[in-house]
Amino acid sequence: MKKYKEYVENWEKKIGSFLQFDPEKAKADSSSEGPLKGIPFGVKDNIAVKGFDMTCGSKILENFNCPYTATAVEKLQNKGAVVVGKMNMDEFGMGSSTDNSALGETNNPWDTSRVAGGSSGGSAAAVAAGLVPFALGSDTGGSVRQPASFCGVYGLKPTYGTVSRYGLTAYASSLETIGICAESTAMTRDVFNIIKGIDVMDNTTVDYKPSGKDDSNTIAVLKVGEGDLSDDVLNSYKVSQQRITDLGYTVTEVELPTLKYVVPAYYVIATAEASANLARFNGIRYGLAEKGAETPSDLMQMSRHSGFGDEVKLRILLGTYVLRSGFQDQYYHRAQKIRTAILNDFNRIFEQADALMLPVFPTGAFHHGSSDLTQLQQKSADLYTCSANLAGLPALAVPSTIEKGLPIGVQFTAPAFEEERLFRISEKLEEVFPVQNPEGYSKEWNK
Amino acid sequence: MKYQSFVGLEIHIQLISETKVFCSCPNNFGDEPNTNICPVCLGYPGALPSLNEEAVFKALKVCKALNCHINEKAVFDRKNYFYPDMPKNYQITQFESPFGVDGYFNLELDDGSFKKIRIHDVHLEEDAGKMIHDGYQSRLDYNRAGTPLLEIVTEPDLVAGRDAELFVQQFRQMVRYLEVTDGNMEEGSLRCDANTSINLPGMGLGTKTEVKNLNSSRFVNKALTYEIKRHGKILDKGGEIIQETRLWDEKTSTSKSMRTKEDSHDYRYFPEPDLPPYRVTAEMMGKVESAMVELPNDRKKRYIKDQNLSVEQAAFITGERETADWFDSLLKLGAESNQSASWLSGDIQKVLNREEVTLEESPFTAERIKELFDLINTKKISNNIGKDLLQAMFKEDKDPSLLVKEKGLEQVSDTGAVEKVVDEVLAAHPAVVDAVRAGEDKQVGFLMGQLMKATGGKVNPQMAREIIMNKIKGSE
Repeated sequence: MKKYKEYVENWEKKIGSFLQFDPEKAKADSSSEGPLKGIPFGVKDNIAVKGFDMTCGSKILENFNCPYTATAVEKLQNKGAVVVGKMNMDEFGMGSSTDNSALGETNNPWDTSRVAGGSSGGSAAAVAAGLVPFALGSDTGGSVRQPASFCGVYGLKPTYGTVSRYGLTAYASSLETIGICAESTAMTRDVFNIIKGIDVMDNTTVDYKPSGKDDSNTIAVLKVGEGDLSDDVLNSYKVSQQRITDLGYTVTEVELPTLKYVVPAYYVIATAEASANLARFNGIRYGLAEKGAETPSDLMQMSRHSGFGDEVKLRILLGTYVLRSGFQDQYYHRAQKIRTAILNDFNRIFEQADALMLPVFPTGAFHHGSSDLTQLQQKSADLYTCSANLAGLPALAVPSTIEKGLPIGVQFTAPAFEEERLFRISEKLEEVFPVQNPEGYSKEWNK
Repeated sequence: MKYQSFVGLEIHIQLISETKVFCSCPNNFGDEPNTNICPVCLGYPGALPSLNEEAVFKALKVCKALNCHINEKAVFDRKNYFYPDMPKNYQITQFESPFGVDGYFNLELDDGSFKKIRIHDVHLEEDAGKMIHDGYQSRLDYNRAGTPLLEIVTEPDLVAGRDAELFVQQFRQMVRYLEVTDGNMEEGSLRCDANTSINLPGMGLGTKTEVKNLNSSRFVNKALTYEIKRHGKILDKGGEIIQETRLWDEKTSTSKSMRTKEDSHDYRYFPEPDLPPYRVTAEMMGKVESAMVELPNDRKKRYIKDQNLSVEQAAFITGERETADWFDSLLKLGAESNQSASWLSGDIQKVLNREEVTLEESPFTAERIKELFDLINTKKISNNIGKDLLQAMFKEDKDPSLLVKEKGLEQVSDTGAVEKVVDEVLAAHPAVVDAVRAGEDKQVGFLMGQLMKATGGKVNPQMAREIIMNKIKGSE
């Protein structure tokens, strides 16, 4: 245990993936038996773990000690896994770099001058560095898959409604799910099978009803246009396409006509929901309470003013704007129509193919700040990931290649409840291209 | 009246339920502040609402009683506004597709006629906590946060304050019959906001104002009467009504502006993503239908028509469901309706009022009262003894026949025994006997009184009177 702690501390000086690290704190809450007995895992800091703080990467919750545990975490604890800490993230999940965390910077274990991705950057970085074999994240528009791709690990966004959101701090309730960053397909599958299932505490959880067709014959591949992807990502994408062809799948190229509308639709829905979801943070019952307020409404205004970061404020304002009465047809209702259209696009593809391959992100891990990608470019780059959130479908990011020393992933999506189909494709690819580790990696937790 | 007036009501009722509407905290009034709270009703990060079926069931009962169309797919929405006592700073309510729409209520007016008042919708929502301003501090109690609230919105089909008062009274009676709320307006378990507008006849609705803070049906009447007059005065002077929300001040009997339309919130309603649309199943509706009861106005009609009760008696008995149910069980035991009604509204009610208990809490079971009626009707005891017996039944919690035995109250109907006492009384009052003989029949009352005094009221009065008359007049 001492060596493990030292290993983590050494890495943490370089990557800063944890907001809190304390392997003893919640140990007593885990079963001493079970298939995941003693396996350490990290939990994104917007997911509730009793005893730990839950900051969501925000100043407004910096002092919030969580009084309860999320259903998904509890299920893992019941199978013996132990929460060792809380992972850094973009404030309230809003970002693609983890640079929007108000409480710490997270670096990519492959190149510390670059971001680990986001918003579940801490989760992906910790898995990539071998600090934990898996970590829970949350995926609202790609927040598990994109950092998984940037860090060279597996990243699953499950079918909407299969994993309870009870205990996941809401950003965009209708889009997000708790997701998994893991070092292997097998680990991803094990964790998924434990955390899925109906929860009385989350009325949006549904019966898990896969078709039973777990093996794929045909994989559709999204055609990418010139300039859609960086050279490295394009190269990596071609390698993956070649691999699935070599593995014997029938490969057909397809297009998603609605894809160009998904980012605006996604941001309308996400910010609308966020504007309501984040209204509860007002300094009254918990969290940052600014001193000197003379009235309750002063207290709310002052706490929100100093507690939220700029990106969060921007999204709350956008969401408030699109929900105004008289403007809903133009924004919110229109976005819902696009949402239906992208699902129809996917369904059309799944009539011909068992799964769809598409890129995760147009670039690899970028440098901190806006020198590589501006905030707006980072948002536009969500198109390949956020479409699965709009459609509620499962999607898995799988390591594809290492390009100029940086890992690049590729994404597979399938009809609802067909996670096992994705795992089987991923497993075959894993045989051809096993997970790669950054320099200094050691499986210390397992010793 | 120069103008036509339009009144619509928004009534909130707190539903009775074991737990709050979206979590498992108890739904109790009057507990220590902030004891019935959890991450869900406190709006903690990550907590989610989980819909309480009991609240849905009760909401549907009200929809059914108000003849609403039930939306098969009922949707919850978020209503966004910031207020310190509202933990999430949005309220989960129903906007586009509530449980019930397009219903009606048959309102009985003072002249006994009925008017159909259309119901716009019935929707389920969560209540907020309570903020108490205490000097320079504001204190918050979240026990009430997340308790189930049902809002009933009428169309502007009422025309005057008195109509609205009757509506609130009859609606309250109905929801108490349905056992969905206690309907206590002072404690806030039934709250009413009133909208009103006036216009020249044939011109349709005018600009409306809303009045809040109406804690009794009488205030609803007073506030609306005031508002209608106020609108009239403004229009008479050629002025314009400002669309606004006003607060009723009971002390001054006036309404004051609270906020105008310009300051009103844009609630930015959108569908609640944490709750899937609720599918109202045939099974659920079956449960609702089998739980429906005969509603007060129907019951009143039945009592007048089938049981020959007077309007007043029927109104009294149907006032509370408890009384009406009790009355029905008395009839079922074979009691006569008029005897039952007059005892219930008379002597029984007197005892209950004096002792400050409800019928349910009292030892007066229908079986006992039927037994009491039997004792009277078979002349084992007199009507007057029966009244005294009622008090004894209350005090001692015993069956009337047992008390009659214990206290030796049985009426003396043995002719020989009665004659003996009559003889004694006549002998003691020869002057009165002479007067009666001379035709002053009224004086018999005095003799009867003496007789009752001598026997402790146990003599069968009819028999005694006959014997007295025979003895006096028959001996002529």
